[in-house]
Amino acid sequence: MNNVTITVNAQTLSAPEGSILLQVLLDNGVSVPHFCYHEALGVDGNCRMCMVEIEGQKRPQIACNTRVKEGMSIRTLSDSIMAVKRSILELELINHPVDCPICDQAGECSLQNYYMEVGLYESRIDRADKVRKAKKVDLGSHVILDQERCVLCARCTRFTENIIGTGDLVIANRGNHACVTTFEPQGLKADGYAMNVVDLCPVGALTSGDFRFHQRVWFLKSDPSLCHGCARGCSIFIDHYPQKYGDDLIYRYRPRVEREVNGFFICDEGRLSYKNHTGDATLTTPRYSGTAITLSEALELYHQKLAASGSGVVALASPSLSCENLTALRDYCLQYAIPLFGVERGSFDETFGDDFLRLNDRAANRSALPLLGISEDESEMNAALCAASLVLNFDNQTPVSVDQIHFCVHPIDTRELQIPIAPYTEQSGSIINAFGKVQKFASTIRRRHPVPPLHELLSTIKGLA
Amino acid sequence: MIQRIVSRKFDIPDAHRIDVALLHGGYATLSKAFAMEPDAITTEIERSGLRGKGGGGAPTGKKWRLMPKTISPSYLVVNADESEPGTFKDRQILQYDPHLLIEGIIVSAYAMGADHAYVYIRGEYKAFHDRLVEAVEEAYERGYLGENIRNSGFNLSLSVHRGAGAYICGEKSALLESLEGKRGHPRLKPAKPECEWYFGHPATVNNVETIATVPFIVQEGFEAYRAYGTDQSPGTMLFAMSGHISRPGVYELPFGLRMMEVIDELGGGVKNGKKLKAVIPGGASTPVLTAEEAEKATLDYETLSAMGSGLGTGGMIIMDEESCMVKALHNLLSFYRHESCGQCTPCREGTGWVDTLIRHILAGRGDETHIQTLLDVSKTMNGQTICVFAPAVSGVINAFVKKFRPEFEHYFQRSEG
Amino acid sequence: MSFTFNPINEEKIKKLWGEYPKKESLTLPMLWMAQYQEGWITPEAIRTIAARLELSPSHLFGIATFYTMFRLSAVGTYHIELCQTLSCALCGKDALIEHLGKKWGIRPGETTEDGRFTLSLVECLGGCGGAPMLSLNETYHENVTPESLDALLEGLS
Repeated sequence: MNNVTITVNAQTLSAPEGSILLQVLLDNGVSVPHFCYHEALGVDGNCRMCMVEIEGQKRPQIACNTRVKEGMSIRTLSDSIMAVKRSILELELINHPVDCPICDQAGECSLQNYYMEVGLYESRIDRADKVRKAKKVDLGSHVILDQERCVLCARCTRFTENIIGTGDLVIANRGNHACVTTFEPQGLKADGYAMNVVDLCPVGALTSGDFRFHQRVWFLKSDPSLCHGCARGCSIFIDHYPQKYGDDLIYRYRPRVEREVNGFFICDEGRLSYKNHTGDATLTTPRYSGTAITLSEALELYHQKLAASGSGVVALASPSLSCENLTALRDYCLQYAIPLFGVERGSFDETFGDDFLRLNDRAANRSALPLLGISEDESEMNAALCAASLVLNFDNQTPVSVDQIHFCVHPIDTRELQIPIAPYTEQSGSIINAFGKVQKFASTIRRRHPVPPLHELLSTIKGLA
Repeated sequence: MIQRIVSRKFDIPDAHRIDVALLHGGYATLSKAFAMEPDAITTEIERSGLRGKGGGGAPTGKKWRLMPKTISPSYLVVNADESEPGTFKDRQILQYDPHLLIEGIIVSAYAMGADHAYVYIRGEYKAFHDRLVEAVEEAYERGYLGENIRNSGFNLSLSVHRGAGAYICGEKSALLESLEGKRGHPRLKPAKPECEWYFGHPATVNNVETIATVPFIVQEGFEAYRAYGTDQSPGTMLFAMSGHISRPGVYELPFGLRMMEVIDELGGGVKNGKKLKAVIPGGASTPVLTAEEAEKATLDYETLSAMGSGLGTGGMIIMDEESCMVKALHNLLSFYRHESCGQCTPCREGTGWVDTLIRHILAGRGDETHIQTLLDVSKTMNGQTICVFAPAVSGVINAFVKKFRPEFEHYFQRSEG
Repeated sequence: MSFTFNPINEEKIKKLWGEYPKKESLTLPMLWMAQYQEGWITPEAIRTIAARLELSPSHLFGIATFYTMFRLSAVGTYHIELCQTLSCALCGKDALIEHLGKKWGIRPGETTEDGRFTLSLVECLGGCGGAPMLSLNETYHENVTPESLDALLEGLS
């Protein structure tokens, strides 16, 4: 497409001819209130909120249904267009319960933001006249619906209909009795992607049953990261709350736009996997024989066991460890001539993958193994395990019948020695997804007593050796 | 006053049976039409100045020209979703002369190169639906529909599709959504004029009466049609009268007659000898006229549009001196609230709010601010939605409030007293 | 409680399948058939039609609730749909509602205790020339007066 020049509020912009005007404006940082348009879902034109003035047009036009043409002149801030936006916003809100103090969307709500931007009028509706609809409807899949807060933009129904194809959500009834619903109670499944509708919903109509009432969003800090739930490596935001006198707590994961990897969405399982990395879910102190011990006690035990096992030591690496951790581990094993395998039994889940985002390969960094020369030969590993007297297990889930020393993120129900390593949320690093894309992630979560990442721990062990 | 073009066979007993219809010239146009080039028929229709009779009044020939000839199959969809309050004309054709409609469909489909025709008929018109279905079966049996119609080499299949209660499906794109099995939500309008689309294939949507007029124009020539009516509104239309009128009913009249002449002479004047207060000229969605305006009105597009109203469907609702205009507006706003598809915010929320406001006024709880809000909401509803439903409601509100404001104010005085 | 179309309807469906380019167009016809067959559109009918048309039941529900003639619950043996829009309002529909209210002791939207009669108020039925008018089990009756209504109802079995 040719680029053409358009004028927006007396500034000139260059944009591809025929592209969607609203998207061009948003991409250029021009604020245009809108509800129904979403880049992933396309133009629907129902909310009528994205009105702009186009020179030569008698009436205001919706920017979503306008294609960019050479020489177009757009105004988004004139008194007349502001009045139009205000009048439409007023209609969006007349039947809204205005229950922001108890609404989880407060702080990230388009209605609130637009009211501050273009509204600021005195309400003219009598509360008793508002249309009453269903509240706290459990749609299933951790999604809770408040029909009274809904602006009927149809983002959620278009998601289940056009993106996922299950059509679980629908708008029923007509006129101002129209509402989003499912036919079957708790009928929202969306093939395991249901919770994306919570992000898509611009208002407080769809909230996450997992997140709601847990934290106010303005207390949350959002940092970019990568989901480690499968070999796709979806881009996410980790929304966390840095407590003043306690550990940083994760409250939710949200999808982060990464066109080449996950587009606009993530799966529900990945989204809820934050629970495995926050609060008490991870191991924070070494344990032996069912009791907590200090790190120096643990390392002493480690060396004793290592010395006692002689050449019968085998190491297993999780294929989800970052490139940095795997490199350090490979070097460590080479130095001490310990055979290292990156095979993890159970890390392929034939029931998990689909034709959208989820992949059967549940390991986040398997693609790094051949690049680092870490063996993926399962029969060699089995043979080595048979002959082994001690296994150094670096967060690998493969069942092993000999004595092990666990370097693990999560506590394991065993009397064997467990030494904690930091989860990916608490360290920076890189992973390579199933399609060979190298992606970096940064440390987001701080603990009062940090657990070292594996590569740091290994350098400590080296120092003692 | 009465001129019979589409109503020619209405008084002939059993003209809905094909044998009777054939006896009285039914399907006679086909031989002439099939001898013409399809484009020549469209040209004839263009020259006749035929305008859509479903309320919009768009030039029919121009609409047919939008059909791309290169995409097959293509469709003619006949809009029999007659639901505009005050309108009950298309049902007369379905009831008394369904074969005229079928004849019109064949000629029109031939002209635009359509392969299949649908008649979308409102669900409530069960009896008229059944009658049309019978006529279609007869037409198939006699070879007027199907393959190689009357040895012309032209094929056309025709299906009758029943709606299920939704005023908005009279809007052509909502009708097509409904025909595709969806909720009847009007579609976004294209940037430039183009045909409609049915499952991605070209489609033209025409009103029943429009299509029923086609055989006459083709048979008698465009000049014969233009002999009636005015320059901008040529021909005839089925005008209807209801409400406070002595002889309600449907009358085929040339365009351009004086409204009061029609009301008084054909309609027998206001019922029970009362005085006239107001007329809604062409279905509920055309802005109301006062009695004084009705005196000046003529039944054509240009005059009524210049008066700030419209010819619409030609369905006049007559209101006598005792009618309460606040209640009348409330009645219409309840209708619109019920029928808004709910897609666009200004319409979904606006129709509800204006209905609520007028309830307050009627209950004696209103004041000036209610009228101001009513007009403000009406303004927001105008020109900012996908289809013309909300703008029509806006026009209705403005006309009622501006022309009969003292009646609204009278209700606040009640609350004070 | 399961739902299957009866053989007559199955025949009709077969015929209709050839009349539309895509099967989605059979949505309204099939909902109509289900309603005539069962008296109303049951949840099972929604599931069955959805499966036949390869659509989600939610999608079908959205359609069934959009069109006011589709009923999602049972009505009386005789269903009166009384037009309440302007021409009928000007010509006396209120008197008919009042008359039926006194006669049956029900308000619009309700069904008599014996399950015989349901009274619904509907929007313009296109019978304005015969206002006030109503539809009794889908048959129009125009120029209705309380007396003619009584006569009509007495004629019912």
